Amino acid sequence: MIFRAVEDPDLIGRARRGDVEAYNLLISRWVKRVYNYLLRITGEREEALDLSQEVFLKAYQHLRKLEDPARFAPWLFRIAHNEAFSSFRKRKVESDVLAMTEAGGEEIGVERPPVFPIELSIAVTTALTRLTEEQRETVVLKIYQGFKFEEIAEILSCPVSTVKSRLYAGLDALKAQLAPLKTRGVS
Amino acid sequence: MSCSPFDLRDYILGELAADERRQVDRHIRACHGCHDDVERLRTTHATLLALRDEEIPQRIGFVSDKVFEPSGWRRVWQAFWGSSARLGFASAAVLSIALVAFTFYRPAAAPAASDVTAARVEAAVAQRVAAAVDKAVAETETRQARRTADLLSAAEQRFEQQRQADMQNVAERFSVLEKRYNVERLLMARNDSRGEK
Repeated sequence: MIFRAVEDPDLIGRARRGDVEAYNLLISRWVKRVYNYLLRITGEREEALDLSQEVFLKAYQHLRKLEDPARFAPWLFRIAHNEAFSSFRKRKVESDVLAMTEAGGEEIGVERPPVFPIELSIAVTTALTRLTEEQRETVVLKIYQGFKFEEIAEILSCPVSTVKSRLYAGLDALKAQLAPLKTRGVS
Repeated sequence: MSCSPFDLRDYILGELAADERRQVDRHIRACHGCHDDVERLRTTHATLLALRDEEIPQRIGFVSDKVFEPSGWRRVWQAFWGSSARLGFASAAVLSIALVAFTFYRPAAAPAASDVTAARVEAAVAQRVAAAVDKAVAETETRQARRTADLLSAAEQRFEQQRQADMQNVAERFSVLEKRYNVERLLMARNDSRGEK
């Protein structure tokens, strides 16, 4: 007997017919990726966890709207992107009102404690937080999540050319910070 | 500024085709600037990848958890309709009932909700138009009848006046004739009395 793992589109079909166990299995396959994506663009574990919960709830509620089950990953990350940026906007409004952070700038979380405790992780996390929100998210989707340019464009709802320009600008900024550190032996 | 035939960032990210990669490989062997740039990009990429994925610190709520569990009524509903066989049977039963009902009783085709509203508006408009037309016709008929009556009355009045005038004329002529006759008779009587004398 040849064992064949259940594919995501099959699980999506079953979940659409009300099979919650199928959806739970789907979550277990994707939750780590979604959590880490949110962790790297928010920089906060607690927020990444809350957002992950929201993402999978929303995905379940709107699963019938997914036209092509084979495109589940970009669709799921699109929801994650929307949730994260909705949170960013809310946080910005709150911080403006409370005047707790300095005004202006695209960067977020620069002053936050680093998520990853080791030295190299601190360097990477700091370098990532110095990017703009758009650059950081594009780098995360490409480098850490391995999406194609077209898929990133779909997730971010922007042209491929915009994705490339954000990614290249982000990589150049990261190279300026990380490559000298690495060559000096900080690892 | 890179002088590579293709973008070195695409080269590092593995976005180039095999032939394009070979061209870049040849170029960076000859160009020290691009070679250094590739090395820095490679270091950057490797450093970024050193950041490992974290395990999620806490299990997120699954749809099957109690907090997301549907109500008892909903579970029964889902359990019943979750079966395609039951759904098929129920559909067939509803169709059969509809066919039987349609055979014995054929109501007017039920219009769609929007059609019903449109039909109501049309009926109201038609009713108003009909009422306005009836009113206008009644007013016209009344006006016409009154006019006819006036004309008839005037004609009768004229006829009566003419009749009275004619009668008076006849009476006057008769009176004149009578007077003439009396005069003639008196004259004849006078002439007869003179002849006897």
